[in-house]
Amino acid sequence: MSDAIARRRWARAGAIYLLLLFFSILFMGPLLFAVLSSLKDNPAEWPPRLDPPQLRWRNWVAAYRLGQAGGGSGWFGAFAPGAVVPFEVTYEVPAELAVQGIELPRVAVPRRVPGAGPGAVRTGPFAADMAEVVGPSIASRQPGPDGSVLVTYRFEVRHTGQITVDRLPVDVEVPRGYRFVEATLSPNRTERLGRVQSWNTITPGVIPYVFYNYTRVFGENYSRTTGRNLFLTWIGNSLWVATAKVLTTLAFASMAGYALARLRFPGRNVLFVVMLFSMMVPSQVTFISNYLVLRDGIFGLSRLWGMPTLLNSFTGLILSGLVGASAVFIMKQFFESLPKELEESARIDGASPGTTFRRIVLPLARPALGAVTILTFQGAWNEFFWPLVVLTSPQDKFVLMVGLSTFRRAYGAVGFDWGPLLAGAVVAALPVLILFVVFQRYFVEGISFSGLKG
Amino acid sequence: MRLHRCAGRVSILLLMLLLLVSPAWAGTVVRVSGWAGTDVAIVEELITRFVEPAVKPYGIEVRYEPIAEDFSTYLFNSLSAGTAPDLFYVDIFWAEPLMAAGQLEPLDAYLQRSEALSKEDIIPSLLEAFTYQGKVYGIPKDFNTLAVFYNKDIFDEAGVPYPDESDTWASFTDKLRRVSRPQEGIYGIALAPEFARFGAFAYAAGFRLFDERGRSDLSQPGFVEAFEWYTGLVDEGIGILPADIGQSWGGGAFATERVATAIEGAWILGFLRDQAPNLPYGATLLPRHAGTGQRGNFIYTVSWSINAASRVKEEAFRVLEALTSPEAQQWVLQRGLALPSRQALLDDPYFKQATAEAQANLVVFRGASEGNVQPFKFGRYGGDWMTPVNEALSAVMTGELTPQQALADAQRRLDELTGR
Repeated sequence: MSDAIARRRWARAGAIYLLLLFFSILFMGPLLFAVLSSLKDNPAEWPPRLDPPQLRWRNWVAAYRLGQAGGGSGWFGAFAPGAVVPFEVTYEVPAELAVQGIELPRVAVPRRVPGAGPGAVRTGPFAADMAEVVGPSIASRQPGPDGSVLVTYRFEVRHTGQITVDRLPVDVEVPRGYRFVEATLSPNRTERLGRVQSWNTITPGVIPYVFYNYTRVFGENYSRTTGRNLFLTWIGNSLWVATAKVLTTLAFASMAGYALARLRFPGRNVLFVVMLFSMMVPSQVTFISNYLVLRDGIFGLSRLWGMPTLLNSFTGLILSGLVGASAVFIMKQFFESLPKELEESARIDGASPGTTFRRIVLPLARPALGAVTILTFQGAWNEFFWPLVVLTSPQDKFVLMVGLSTFRRAYGAVGFDWGPLLAGAVVAALPVLILFVVFQRYFVEGISFSGLKG
Repeated sequence: MRLHRCAGRVSILLLMLLLLVSPAWAGTVVRVSGWAGTDVAIVEELITRFVEPAVKPYGIEVRYEPIAEDFSTYLFNSLSAGTAPDLFYVDIFWAEPLMAAGQLEPLDAYLQRSEALSKEDIIPSLLEAFTYQGKVYGIPKDFNTLAVFYNKDIFDEAGVPYPDESDTWASFTDKLRRVSRPQEGIYGIALAPEFARFGAFAYAAGFRLFDERGRSDLSQPGFVEAFEWYTGLVDEGIGILPADIGQSWGGGAFATERVATAIEGAWILGFLRDQAPNLPYGATLLPRHAGTGQRGNFIYTVSWSINAASRVKEEAFRVLEALTSPEAQQWVLQRGLALPSRQALLDDPYFKQATAEAQANLVVFRGASEGNVQPFKFGRYGGDWMTPVNEALSAVMTGELTPQQALADAQRRLDELTGR
């Protein structure tokens, strides 16, 4: 009897567990797939592979060794003066071609710039100008059972110049009908119906090989007005704006929440209702008036600090989001849940409301403050529309989300080059993801305090 | 006494003059705006290399504001809000409403006074595109036209000569037929069901977008003939819709090496550089129509135009001069980033290079002055004009309707649109 109950209990637990698994795959699936695709050479490939060459450990080892051979580190690679890079490629030559004799492939170091994105404008030093190909020669032959031959070619690329370049692209061309089997490093693309195997760089180092699109995002986007690395600048801007907003929100929301929860003053309820009302107005309704207020520098006040307008400045962006009504609401609800006796005893001991707030209430409010921090940071980090309206130029001013949207045109519209776009999106999603995994508890608490989301 | 008063007046006049010219000393800011993307890198580079050295002596400061989101929306909004930049891109596709509304500054007077820039410098068909009721409203910065891009491998393996400039529709079709091997998944041409490609052939056959009364007549013999030829290629198994091989556009289909030709512009070059750097392609002009003996083509172009409400028009024009100077345009061309609009650049050494890219750019460059070339614009209707025609093309190319049914439908909807 108890056996049956236990079995039923386990069955129920199993069903719940499966359901949870199903939901997590459903919700995490797109994200995981985007991460996987962001590693691929062609994220839009069809049918999509689940095991791109970037995820094979053999290639990691090869990328490390080749990066060192190129004169760089195993992690980041390079092609430096004096480098000698050995490389092997194996083809299967079918029987009818093998009888005519094995031909040598044509190995070339092409001059290659990205076709789309900011990289297309760059005119850096090219490996093609300082690389010398030695070979190719036939390293080994293995006759197969049906008269076909497995041929391994070997060649070396030597650096004959004075300048270090970051990549060494290589194209290997074989006669039609030769079938590619393997190489020291998997090629990035096969072209001309199998005649050409093409590598973006054969001295990659592990990170540029596995995270090629990521290195493009960080490496190609630099500002032409200040020369700074744009993507890092955007991340910095986003961090700075989000942090500032978190700090101001914490300060103002805790004070306002405490005042609304505990202090008695005329107009308190009206104020609270007005505050609630402000949460109900969609931001699309108010953004034009907000824009005009910022344009005039808050009725000309900003002129006192020598700013004719607050548009296109972080000051304006932060000032327009000092504190949100929802944060005040969360704090108020929390303070109301605290036992009144604590504050009463503090008052009997002669503490002023200010002291009580600072010494007694705030330390107790840690969970609520945590929840507000997380929710605010997440909101500020992901905010797109308002920064897009406020921040216009130069590109160094953008926050990450606005900067990311420029990729859509820079990479997507020109070359259908979705890799960097996906990589940038994954990078942008990471902080919030980490935040969520680490502080899950606070998210749930924040929602349970207020009974509403965000 | 009188002298004294006179001196007073003179000094006041001098003071006023000083006040008037002082902005020039203090530095006038010209706001320049375009869309984001690769353009940002190009424009920033142009400003630091060519514009700033040229306009600094006049005390002009250039502030460049690329727009990350939908540019036309931004521009229309900011023009009506009075916050628009002084100098900005105008795409021919939506230029006409702006010109008609008087939002753009007519440039004729400036061009007459200018020493650096005159109407004769610019390719006529481009300038024509930005001319409205006899006035010029923009200086084209670059342009694009359509060309036939062909995959040499496919033609070589079939032993068929490449498409060339002497081709008519018939000989072109014949070449495509001989390289098509539908059972192996190799097709002669990728055909997008869009007027943005097909229109070039309609123009070759003598199609006119609007008659005197402003009506679009799709029963013109030229249009019908082009329509039947274009859709017939798919019927015959020579042509394939990019969507049928899992691609969103002709260039994508071309990169898969499953189509022998595609009708695209120079924008395909950057794409191929990334996705198929070893694809041996060539480019040639679109085939002629046997009856009219001419080719047709679209001109896709973008101008620099000056805001009619700007307070710094003279300064903005100086910036415009620098942006479209021969040196600046040559710099853009040398990098294969865009095709500049100055006629003189046809003799540029860049075009003498033997690379496929330079050759393709030359073909696209020449496309602007060969045959019946029309700007990619549809009066005041914008993209709405194309919708019925695109749907007719789709319906016929996917076998849903006969050409007669589809064209009758499209005609009815166009008449509703134009109200004629």
